[in-house]
Amino acid sequence: MAGGLAYFLPAAQLALDATGQVIRVPTPSPTDLFTSPVPQSPSPSPTTGAFTVLLLGSDDDSKFESDHVLTQSMILVRIVPSTKEVTMLSIPRDLYVHLSPGGFGKIDGAYSYGGPGAAIATVSQDFGVHIDDYIWVGLLGLIKVIDAIGGIDVVTSHPVMDDYYPADVYGGWPYDFERVAVLGGPQHLDGIHAMQYVRSRHGDLQSDFGRSQRQQQVLMAIRQKAHQLSPEDLPKLSSAIGGELKTSIPLSRVAALLPLAASFDNPDQIRQIVLLPPYTHGDGPDGSIQPDWARILPLVHKYFP
Amino acid sequence: MIARGVLGVALAAVMLICGTMTFLYLGTRTSKATVPPAKPTAATPRAQAQSLPGTLYLAQSGAIYSLSAGRFHQLTPEAGWTMPSLSPDGNSIIAVKQARMSSDVYVLNRFGGVVRQVTNNAAPARLAYDPGFNHWSFYPRLSADGATLWMAYDKPKYGYDVILSIWAMPFGGTIAQGKLWTSAADYTGGDVQPVPVSGGVIYTKYDYGPDLQLVGRLWFTNRAFSAGRALTSPDEDCRNPSVSPDGTQIAMICTYEKQVSYLVLAAWNGSTLGARRAIITNQMVAQPTWAPDGSGIAYLAPGVAAGPFQLWWLPRAAYAPPPTPAPTPTPGGPHNGPLPTPSPTAPVVVKPVQVTTNNGFDATSPLAWRG
Repeated sequence: MAGGLAYFLPAAQLALDATGQVIRVPTPSPTDLFTSPVPQSPSPSPTTGAFTVLLLGSDDDSKFESDHVLTQSMILVRIVPSTKEVTMLSIPRDLYVHLSPGGFGKIDGAYSYGGPGAAIATVSQDFGVHIDDYIWVGLLGLIKVIDAIGGIDVVTSHPVMDDYYPADVYGGWPYDFERVAVLGGPQHLDGIHAMQYVRSRHGDLQSDFGRSQRQQQVLMAIRQKAHQLSPEDLPKLSSAIGGELKTSIPLSRVAALLPLAASFDNPDQIRQIVLLPPYTHGDGPDGSIQPDWARILPLVHKYFP
Repeated sequence: MIARGVLGVALAAVMLICGTMTFLYLGTRTSKATVPPAKPTAATPRAQAQSLPGTLYLAQSGAIYSLSAGRFHQLTPEAGWTMPSLSPDGNSIIAVKQARMSSDVYVLNRFGGVVRQVTNNAAPARLAYDPGFNHWSFYPRLSADGATLWMAYDKPKYGYDVILSIWAMPFGGTIAQGKLWTSAADYTGGDVQPVPVSGGVIYTKYDYGPDLQLVGRLWFTNRAFSAGRALTSPDEDCRNPSVSPDGTQIAMICTYEKQVSYLVLAAWNGSTLGARRAIITNQMVAQPTWAPDGSGIAYLAPGVAAGPFQLWWLPRAAYAPPPTPAPTPTPGGPHNGPLPTPSPTAPVVVKPVQVTTNNGFDATSPLAWRG
């Protein structure tokens, strides 16, 4: 008993520290500049047991103050346990929207102004989606998770070549660059190469959109690898990702969700959506991307009712 | 009183031992999925008694290994070595050594010793402030006469647009004497995996398909700075070409724009590909390589789902079934009645053989095979 408790102590510690984070949703600031349709944040979905989670991935190196980071990745995930359907919607980080703390700007700034609550409120008010919970992962967290599960298998769509990839992960001058060459084709990626694959956006004509597709590929590969893990792997995983993961999902619900996650085994029931043109177009202020809400909202409400 | 104290100490000791045993036992119950790959030379069980002909060269963790008579030998240290290929006489290994900012082609002897450095892609010290002054060389292959080195090389590149193109240079010369052979599409990763064949070169070109997705296609060109002719369609999403020893077939992998990787064979007549035959559709296949004696195809694929890549062997019988037997001639002269029909034999299903179980070979590194 004592040995078992000692073995699982790191996992329990992380579970207590990382889960059940309180969301402080800022009071939306009214603005006269707001021109996009303002859908009311809907009530929770009528589909029994369905829930929506906002996945957030951030730079969290020394360029930023703790908890004032940009979200490089925002993926809205809706899970319907009764039909085992999953829908993933990648939100472009440069999307020009009304931010919940006030004013307009790129959506990746919402988290830096008001933490996860502001990110949730921004997505919720702009897209008209009820968000039940969030999961935030730092850069190092993703690398460590992938290494802790023994790497992932991915068919990389093309060689990802970048001469100016940020060399900010392992200390040193955070504004430095390094060269990256993740070659194309099937391969087993460790954490650092998986991060390079999903983070680089210089060598892709579709820039952030191409990167969003790669992020969804890697999420699917992590999910596939998770099927191979056993409960005894939890302590190793916990020590790897300590401090790099936060979620509002309470511990009791995490335990209930684990068997559910394992039951999603049909890739055809996982829908992946990226807001490519014509849903967006790239002529916004400061290099941002302008949303076409007239196209986006019907799409979003179809899959995130 | 003393007996009670002794009992307490004994129980505490039992608790400690049981607790420790439980802790250690749980530690042994971790899934194999998280266990790091073993070095090929140390892996147990060793490569199976499956006797592959000749010597096969593979890369793992930045080192090149040879596999001969069921035994692995480490030829180079773990220092960024990858992508071995062979000189036409089989006496030299042409390989890439990759560093953080650049990669170079080297000539090694059969035992892994460096004979010479062929390219020099690291930026000179005075230009080291900008990573863009460095270059990559990948996928080196020598022509059949050994005079020309083919490779993917990231020149020209334009700022953020770093693309690999196919280059050919005199094997005894420098990159300054090299010639750019293909025009890579911008922001795609470029053109890679040149395979010199009679009359030209087959290579993989990455480009945007009609659905604006990035896909790989095999192309053939026989003229410098000409894309040439596409051999596969965008929706097939193919790469990793490997020509059979007799030059009549090409093995490749095709993904059909999904997270799958099928082993596909097609006849090759020197200018076009014939009908495709998907031979393996239930594994994530990488780097198919024909045995020099035509006895089968080696390839890399995960040993278990989502695991590191292992070496697999597909015997020839799996993709080239024996010919249908001819009717036995009737002794005693011409036969006037109906010809006997050969009795159909049940098709023998030949499955791939997993050669290694706990390695982690570099699936982006082509295999080289000496007969």
